[in-house]
Amino acid sequence: MILQSERNDSFLEGFEHLDKTIALQSTGWLREFRLKNLSRFNEAGFPTLKDEEWKYLNLEPIISRHYHLTVSTPFTETAALKTYLNPAETNVVFVNGIFSENLSNVRDLPKGVVITTLTEAMTSHRADIENLLKKYPVAQANVFTTLNLALTGNGIFIKLTDKAINKKNIHIVHVTSVKEQNIISAPRSVILIGDSAEASVMETHISFSDDAVYFTNALTDILIAQNGILNYHKAQSESLKAFHIGTTRVWQEKDSNFNGFSFMVGGSITRNNLDVILNGEGASTRLNGLYCTNGTQLVDNHSAVDHREPNGTSNQLYKGILNGASRAVFNGKIFVKPIAQKTNSYQLNKNLLLGKEARVDTKPQLEIGADDVKCTHGATIGQLNEDEVFYLQSRCIAKSDAVKMLSKGFVDDIIDTITDESIHAKLNKLLEPTFAAL
Amino acid sequence: MLEIKNLHAGIEGTPILKGLNLSVNAGEVHAIMGPNGSGKSTLAKVVAGHPQYAVTEGQVLYEVNFKKINLLELEPEDRAREGVFMAFQYPVEIPGVNASMFLRAAFNEICKHQGAEEMDPIEFDEYLRKKMKLLDMDEKFINRPVNVDFSGGEKKRNEILQMAVLNPRLMVLDETDSGLDIDSMRIVADGVNKLRNKNNAVIVITHYQRLLNYIVPDFVHILHDGKIIKSQGKELALEVEDKGYDWLIK
Repeated sequence: MILQSERNDSFLEGFEHLDKTIALQSTGWLREFRLKNLSRFNEAGFPTLKDEEWKYLNLEPIISRHYHLTVSTPFTETAALKTYLNPAETNVVFVNGIFSENLSNVRDLPKGVVITTLTEAMTSHRADIENLLKKYPVAQANVFTTLNLALTGNGIFIKLTDKAINKKNIHIVHVTSVKEQNIISAPRSVILIGDSAEASVMETHISFSDDAVYFTNALTDILIAQNGILNYHKAQSESLKAFHIGTTRVWQEKDSNFNGFSFMVGGSITRNNLDVILNGEGASTRLNGLYCTNGTQLVDNHSAVDHREPNGTSNQLYKGILNGASRAVFNGKIFVKPIAQKTNSYQLNKNLLLGKEARVDTKPQLEIGADDVKCTHGATIGQLNEDEVFYLQSRCIAKSDAVKMLSKGFVDDIIDTITDESIHAKLNKLLEPTFAAL
Repeated sequence: MLEIKNLHAGIEGTPILKGLNLSVNAGEVHAIMGPNGSGKSTLAKVVAGHPQYAVTEGQVLYEVNFKKINLLELEPEDRAREGVFMAFQYPVEIPGVNASMFLRAAFNEICKHQGAEEMDPIEFDEYLRKKMKLLDMDEKFINRPVNVDFSGGEKKRNEILQMAVLNPRLMVLDETDSGLDIDSMRIVADGVNKLRNKNNAVIVITHYQRLLNYIVPDFVHILHDGKIIKSQGKELALEVEDKGYDWLIK
């Protein structure tokens, strides 16, 4: 048996001088912060299958590899990328973790909207960033978040000042070039929504080859001030040989609204954490999700909603289609603190198993401390209804087309909750390989 | 057009049809009546190709372009493309599949099969609206998922709309009248009568004589224990209505 500490050494071999790199890259409090996270990461070790939180996700294939930190190489897949970008949106593009000015079009921003690199923001918006980091004690973060914070020298910073409205979708794209193998990248996004401000942000993790092996370790922090609104879509369409572990932390104040969508179709092994803290009265959050897997893919979605104040609402609907011998995990935790009376919380996970060897592990967890609340949850796992297939066949539609049509119906039910046409179209485009394989 | 010879079929090893013979010519209407459990619905499902039913013996010959083919050798979708249509006793709800999109896909499959040009959404919409007008149906039948949240009567009317759109040669109505109020039944029957012509045929499977006042059969067959035990003209249905099935079964 290999000890966890040894495993860490092996994993970090590719960048064993990380502490020196950090010392070179950063100064002042940021250097201290990164080093603190690095030492915490080095102490913590990786979780194993015995860890309840990681029960269904074997990290072995991810952590037994050697990685090197992102490097700047010429990007040759511009044409493919452009078919995915909508020039009418504000595009912020990172290639192998490095911001690309050429591929981005950050301009003509409305008043009160700031979009800048995180490095820049560390000085220009230092108070904002320190305030954000205070909300999440280093000691409580999971090991991958810690690693991200140690590695991150760069990222994106988006801020809407009070009452600023930005209707145009901001699309952050993290593309990994197919030329490089065994890259580890640590994308980091910070999104701050001011009082009564409103924005739409989408983050896409994408690769244009299914042979590229790399590890994306992403972290997104979102803060929504009183009465603010954020529509946030995360799309993961990584290479089918890549690993993706991502955490999105959302902090909501009074009467704020978060509409989140987690869309996962790529990756060999994916873990997607979405942690929402409803820290103000009357805050409302919607977490929808869709995952489509095939082959031996594994997608593990964890959501945690923490109702800390009264009159909050949370609605979750995660749907999944599993083909081949793929696996999915859904773990949805809902906490209702004693003070959070009149909380209304709903959670549903629905799975369609198309592959004979596909498997789903779904687990809702409720921890309710208040007595006047409404919390419901449920999960379904099923195959295509034979009568529905036959009905379509009896109306001239070939069996394979019937399977596609019914699966599409299953998916549309959740995709059609997205009202932004451009985002809707992008997700449908990313779904094309899924339906071609049915 | 259709010739069923010595058909034996069952479900999960239980025999239901036990040597059924039936011959149907173009332009004819055949009614199949019988007590519960006699095999009426099984007959419809076997002709349409439901995968749960296993045929152990016999043939279902169907004339296509003056050649007889054995329907049992075709997939359900290929039977449908050759003009076989079964109106379901319990039409299936299909959440997430838009009715109009679904009907166009079905219609275009037939076009493809016949080597005709497929219809684009605009052309098809026009065609569909004509059919809806013919059956006095409103928008709600096509602007939502197939059969979802429809009442029993609406579902059955929707079956007839599909039949009108696909214009089949052999129409099999599986207890289309059961559970219908008299107004819905008239509408359904009226729809079927409008679709009838000398080149197609109708098999009406029913438990009640009432429907046959509206869709008048040329022949009435009594099915019992998986076999047709008596065939006669339309007066047989009235006799059954009057006396029940016992005198036939003995």
